[in-house]
Amino acid sequence: MAASEKKPVLQVDDISKSFDGVEVVRNVSLEVHSGDTISILGPSGSGKSTLLRCINWLEQPDRGEVYLAGNRVGRKEDGQLMSDRELANVRTQMGMVFQSFNLWPHFTVLQNVIEAPVHVLGMTKDDAVARAEQLLEKVGLEVKRDAYPYSLSGGQKQRVAIARALAMSPTVMLFDEPTSSLDPELVGEVLSVMRDLAAEGMTMVVVTHEMSFARDVCQEVVFMNDGQVVEQSTPEKFFSNPRTDRAQRFLTRHK
Amino acid sequence: MTAGDYQMLLDGAWTTIWISLLAIGGGVPLGLVLSLIRVSRFPVLSQIVVLYVSLGRATPLLTLALFLFVTLPVFGVNIDKYTAGVLALTLNTASFNTEVWRSAYQSFPQSQIEAARATGMTRALYFRRIMLPQMWYASLPSLVNEMTLLVKASPAIAVIGVVDLTRVTNRIAAQTYEPLPPILVAGAMYMLFISVLVRLQRHLEKRAERYAT
Amino acid sequence: MTDLEIVLNEWPRLASGFANTLLLFGISALGAFVLGALMLGAFRSRSKIVRVALGYFVDGMRMLPFLIFAYLLYYGLPTFGVRLDAWTVGLLGLTIYHCAYVAEILRGAWDQLPVGQTESAQAHGYHGFRLMRRIVLPQLVLNSAPVLGNQLIYMLKDTSFLMIITVKELTYAASSIQSMYFVPLEPFLIAIALYWAISLLIEGFVAVVHRSAKERGLGRV
Repeated sequence: MAASEKKPVLQVDDISKSFDGVEVVRNVSLEVHSGDTISILGPSGSGKSTLLRCINWLEQPDRGEVYLAGNRVGRKEDGQLMSDRELANVRTQMGMVFQSFNLWPHFTVLQNVIEAPVHVLGMTKDDAVARAEQLLEKVGLEVKRDAYPYSLSGGQKQRVAIARALAMSPTVMLFDEPTSSLDPELVGEVLSVMRDLAAEGMTMVVVTHEMSFARDVCQEVVFMNDGQVVEQSTPEKFFSNPRTDRAQRFLTRHK
Repeated sequence: MTAGDYQMLLDGAWTTIWISLLAIGGGVPLGLVLSLIRVSRFPVLSQIVVLYVSLGRATPLLTLALFLFVTLPVFGVNIDKYTAGVLALTLNTASFNTEVWRSAYQSFPQSQIEAARATGMTRALYFRRIMLPQMWYASLPSLVNEMTLLVKASPAIAVIGVVDLTRVTNRIAAQTYEPLPPILVAGAMYMLFISVLVRLQRHLEKRAERYAT
Repeated sequence: MTDLEIVLNEWPRLASGFANTLLLFGISALGAFVLGALMLGAFRSRSKIVRVALGYFVDGMRMLPFLIFAYLLYYGLPTFGVRLDAWTVGLLGLTIYHCAYVAEILRGAWDQLPVGQTESAQAHGYHGFRLMRRIVLPQLVLNSAPVLGNQLIYMLKDTSFLMIITVKELTYAASSIQSMYFVPLEPFLIAIALYWAISLLIEGFVAVVHRSAKERGLGRV
């Protein structure tokens, strides 16, 4: 994979984050180029979710910077913290899919997908509905458009969540352990949607335990342990020939 | 305000306290009895209880107090204002308490009842020894909450002439032409009683959590 | 003339009292909900002063009898040069007093709302007022429909206290008919029936909202 000469679409510079005095993310830097899919692997407590949440500033990093398409996230050019409104603005360019789906239960499936485009981006309802119907078809759930999340299975909920995030036409999609809450037989339907998305050229950062996805779909694997990036390479190199001890131990446990 | 005024306020506070205590003392057991009639589904009586609860929770205490004080004498029941006040408060709080007890009864774990019956206990026996003590503990937070509401609504009896903590402020103002000071003091006194009840309620809620089945 | 005929003759007085009760209840209930919802964000304000002040206000209203608060406004406002008629003071009192209760109910529901709801909204670019109005508040109201319904009934009943500060609401109307014509039973029976009817309507409304909540898997058991 030739290194792109273009600037990366997402750049994470030396991010650190502590909770209650414990450093959970330590000096992590990442570059994600347009169209790439990066997976972040690691044992529980390695800081991978926190790192992801620092990217869209759901967690405020103690140190370090995040850049989306060259623009700073969370802090303005003068170093001041962004206001809630400015931060909200930036987030419209980043989609996030959560481990616990977090669909809005008082809205139907269709309403969930059109909600942010209409009320945050100012799209007309007709445009938003048209786009939503397209996306629901893409994730295979157009028949459920008038159902409430309450009546859906976990896999269905997550696919709706993906459609909901895509409806904002984001530059990059962040996935926080998207299949960890799913019963095993429902994991496949979600991974399939994610594979298609990657193949279509969406820029994705995926925190996951699903080794098959990391191996088959990603351009780069980032392995974290204890808050730091321990190893970073292509899937071929990482899975067949891990350089570090910790990566090896992790892989044998997760065969 | 003079020392005499403060004394009047204390007297008024005492009146509020003893009337409230009587109403609570009557209203809690009355609620239990009514809730049992309700769940027993006796043909006519339980419907009457349903009606009573619905009306009791919808009728303002002030309206009820006036109604009782003015109407009962027509039926030959000559009632003084203090009795009318206690009666109104009791009937009002009992209607809410009925629902509290009923909820405790209906959410009582069937498994414990089955265990009791399997050991040969009669209904009366396991109700008294097994259900009631636990229903009591489970209901306490809601019952105390209802007591708080009772004290907050008790100024209603001032309208029929009972010299409670609220009416006393009128009397003082009538002499001093300054209504605000006694009201402020009375307000502080009410807040004191009620904060004690609220603290009790929080303590009971924590305890109920610990022993929840 | 029978007692009932006397009372029926006085129906304008009863109607006027009932209208006052309904107006006071309706407007204050609306106001209390709007104010309570607006205050909600302040519970999690970054400013400690705001949080503490709000705490004192809510605790204060919840430990004070409504009539005492109404008295405080009625007798206290003139000392600040604010001269309002009794009806307006009553309306103000009902609204301010009950908005504290509504805020506390909504706050309790908010504490129980999964944090993922707010986070997924933030991730989609929501913040501030829009986040509360579109995503958080609807869920809070659906989840606490029965408790809010109870509070509405208390708001209805508290209107009767205003007769003591000379507002001519329903109980006052019943009482004045009774004392003018010495008809003890009928006016109060009619008044109680009217209060009952309104609270049944409120409960019906709450049942509809609660059913809407259950459809969506919301509503605390």
